[in-house]
Amino acid sequence: MHLDLCDDLVRRALAQGAADAEVFYRKVRKLEAMFEKNDLQVPKGDTYEGVGIRVLLGGSNGARLGFAATNLLTPESLENALSAAIAIAHASPEDANHSLPEPAPAKPVLGIYDQSAEELTLRDALDQGRLMLEAARGADPRVTLDSAMYTIEVSEKAIVSSRGVRLSEKRSLFVCQAMAFARDGETVSSFDMEVGASSRMSGMDPAALGRRLGEKVVATLGATTIPSFRGAVIIAPYAGMDLIVSPITFSSDAENVQTGRSKWKGMLGAQVLSPLLSVIDDPSIPGGASSTAFDREGVPARRLELVKDGVLNHYLYNCYTARKDGVASNGRAAGTDQNTPSIAPTNFAIAPGERSLDEMMAACSKGLIVNRFSGNLDEVSGDFSGVVKGGYYVEAGKIVCPVREAMIAGNIYDLLRQVTGVSRESVEIADIRLPYVQFDGCSVTGKQ
Amino acid sequence: MAKSDREGDGMLDLLKAAVSGAAGYAEIRYHKREQTSIEAKNGRLARVERRTLAGAGVRCLMDGCWGFVSTTDVTPGGLRKAISEAVEAAQIGAELRREKAVLAPAKLAQGEFVYYDSAGEPSIGEKIQAVMAAEKRVRERSSLIVASSVRYLQYEDEKYIVTSDGAAAHILDNKPSFHVIATAGRGDQLEMAIKSWGVTGSWKDLLDKTSLDKATNDAADLAVRKLGAGYVRGGQYTVILDPMLVGVLSHEAIGHTVEADFVQAGSVVQGKIGQKVASDMITMVDDGTMAGAAGMVLADDEGVLGQRTVIIDRGILRDYLHSRESAQTFGAEPHGNARAFTYGDEPLIRMTNTCILPGTDNLDQMIAGIDDGLLLREMGTGGGQADSTAEFMFGVAEGYVINHGKLGELVKGITISGQAFEVLQSVDAVSSDFVCSLGAGHCGKWQPAKVDSGGPYLRCRVTVGGRHE
Repeated sequence: MHLDLCDDLVRRALAQGAADAEVFYRKVRKLEAMFEKNDLQVPKGDTYEGVGIRVLLGGSNGARLGFAATNLLTPESLENALSAAIAIAHASPEDANHSLPEPAPAKPVLGIYDQSAEELTLRDALDQGRLMLEAARGADPRVTLDSAMYTIEVSEKAIVSSRGVRLSEKRSLFVCQAMAFARDGETVSSFDMEVGASSRMSGMDPAALGRRLGEKVVATLGATTIPSFRGAVIIAPYAGMDLIVSPITFSSDAENVQTGRSKWKGMLGAQVLSPLLSVIDDPSIPGGASSTAFDREGVPARRLELVKDGVLNHYLYNCYTARKDGVASNGRAAGTDQNTPSIAPTNFAIAPGERSLDEMMAACSKGLIVNRFSGNLDEVSGDFSGVVKGGYYVEAGKIVCPVREAMIAGNIYDLLRQVTGVSRESVEIADIRLPYVQFDGCSVTGKQ
Repeated sequence: MAKSDREGDGMLDLLKAAVSGAAGYAEIRYHKREQTSIEAKNGRLARVERRTLAGAGVRCLMDGCWGFVSTTDVTPGGLRKAISEAVEAAQIGAELRREKAVLAPAKLAQGEFVYYDSAGEPSIGEKIQAVMAAEKRVRERSSLIVASSVRYLQYEDEKYIVTSDGAAAHILDNKPSFHVIATAGRGDQLEMAIKSWGVTGSWKDLLDKTSLDKATNDAADLAVRKLGAGYVRGGQYTVILDPMLVGVLSHEAIGHTVEADFVQAGSVVQGKIGQKVASDMITMVDDGTMAGAAGMVLADDEGVLGQRTVIIDRGILRDYLHSRESAQTFGAEPHGNARAFTYGDEPLIRMTNTCILPGTDNLDQMIAGIDDGLLLREMGTGGGQADSTAEFMFGVAEGYVINHGKLGELVKGITISGQAFEVLQSVDAVSSDFVCSLGAGHCGKWQPAKVDSGGPYLRCRVTVGGRHE
């Protein structure tokens, strides 16, 4: 039925003079329970349905592209969107890199649609959220859940193009996120967070998540300042989201490479990271939070070993950037019905290493475990500086104390080439899986 | 774009009928947004998008708990269904929620709040041409320019808001903005400069505030001048902050701390109403009625009339920023600060136009009164952070050395930090100028919001960081 709507819009675009057209459709039902300050704030329900229309007009030096989107699926609004897309195409310059992909079979991914999710109601979201809240507070009354939410999302996407692409996919997603801190009289710990995601409700345990978060924040009560030192820094997975995932994703994005902002320009096949690091982007993981059979342009998305033993193997492409480099898109076009395709990874993982976290810590004469990072990181230059949150000071192989007001600074691209340890243990944070990563010879600025 | 009066009354009647069927407090906000974005980068048209996002956000309050449902089905049947689902959500939530929400009385918005006529807007084709021509001008301004981008973003918002206790408003406004970015390079040195601005008004109003020619030239010229500029040593300085930095301080470092939900969560101003928090030369307001400012909100998303809040009055903390719910908790009056970004978002306490009011001093005399200090202009490209304790750190775009009362050379790589209230306590001169220039971009707090901020030039003491600290 939704494919029929898309077919019709493509036909009408061609009838209005487009050489090619693509319609991306999205439908979402969302149930959300939002909490603040240990209390329920607002239960929310939303139903959404929308289309994004891309049209290409022919030209001797390349196609002219226009895009318009609407979530009002009335005849008037759809006609307006078609006209707007065509008007924009007429007003845009020719660009030889605009194209739509040819159709290709997209292998369905297992385990991303739990049909029983269609029957769930707001009460289910509230019940799951309540489990998380009670577990976080129940373990220790000093814990305050500052803000949290439990979300149930059942969605469908579909794409049809004049080239013959015709695909659709359903998925269900359950997400639990919480931020908390602990207070003991006048002493307040820093904030910490936990995030979980699964394609099945049973794939996530909100009570365990709440308990883990409560334990994390209580453990950092009584954090003290430390003197400055030079030694090991161990980046824990939540801190790795900002310090490690973000620069790698930025520098492997083909658009950043082509516009001269990525340090990895011209580095395919070259060593860009430490040989201890391998990065995998895999949209085919059964039940994975960002698993999908096809990308925003309908290109089948396959597993990519982005970096192997520190050597860069792939950039992340959509059709525009792929055409510009004279290669085929590798299915990393991203976006919704409301925007034109950008670029993003899917399920992102850094491969685990050989040593356990305990072994890595035991080998530190002086070190800092960085649980979260609050500061600036310039993805172009790699320069970063900021405050360590929820961190621990390690001396002679043992955790000495939780730490506050310690700062780290440096260049992340230099550090990622000099990794000295990658843990066996990994943590899953929604669609990202990271181990603990150690750098040696870092300057830590303390306050003492 | 504006509906005829008859159609508009039809929509208001439809919403009133739906709301009358609810048991407790009910509020329906129909919001249709037409968003246009155009971006030209490094000689090509990178992205043009036109989006329509429309629907109704329905909030019900039952037994002290909220329920929120959003939908695109705005037929009578669809709205009735949304109301009954929101009521049910509130009832289920009430079983779990401990602190009961109660709404304070408020001046409710009734009638027309139309601040835009799309008849005068250029076509999308003309706008595309203007953006591409501007990007070309940045690129060609100097041979040292290595990268350039110009981005235009426009939100055209039409809303009908009805509440069960008497709000019934039709709102139509337009918030466009420009971002111009120039990068200059020499050897392996790169310097970036940004000129950005936004208004509530038309394309013409946006260009009346700053012309594209001026913005493109200024951005390119500053990037090139930064190539040859040096740094300052870090330390405590007497500085003059320009209106944009005064705006950043007001909005980022102070404004969030006085939003009532953050006050309740324990921000630094909790319990300080009536206390002296700044120099008696400082009066700070949040004002949704400021005509043409990017944060103009004539009626908020709870149907409350936009009004001015005096946050700090001659140095004394007077008021927080409220929703109807928080106003009841604090025994205060809501002034139209409950805002939702799209129909699918629930209203949250947000700022509108947050400014320090002008004084009587003269900028030249303020400069002459500094023996060893800096004149600082505009926010830098690195961004900044602020905390619930009002501790802040911001990057600064341009600094000018002041020596024995005289303005000297350009310096770069400057950050300023401190505790915002301590900085305001140290203010000893406030100029008679008044500019709101923080209207491009968005404020973030779970949802984006269009805001504005500014004020006069202020002379004060801050900690200045050089880049290699």
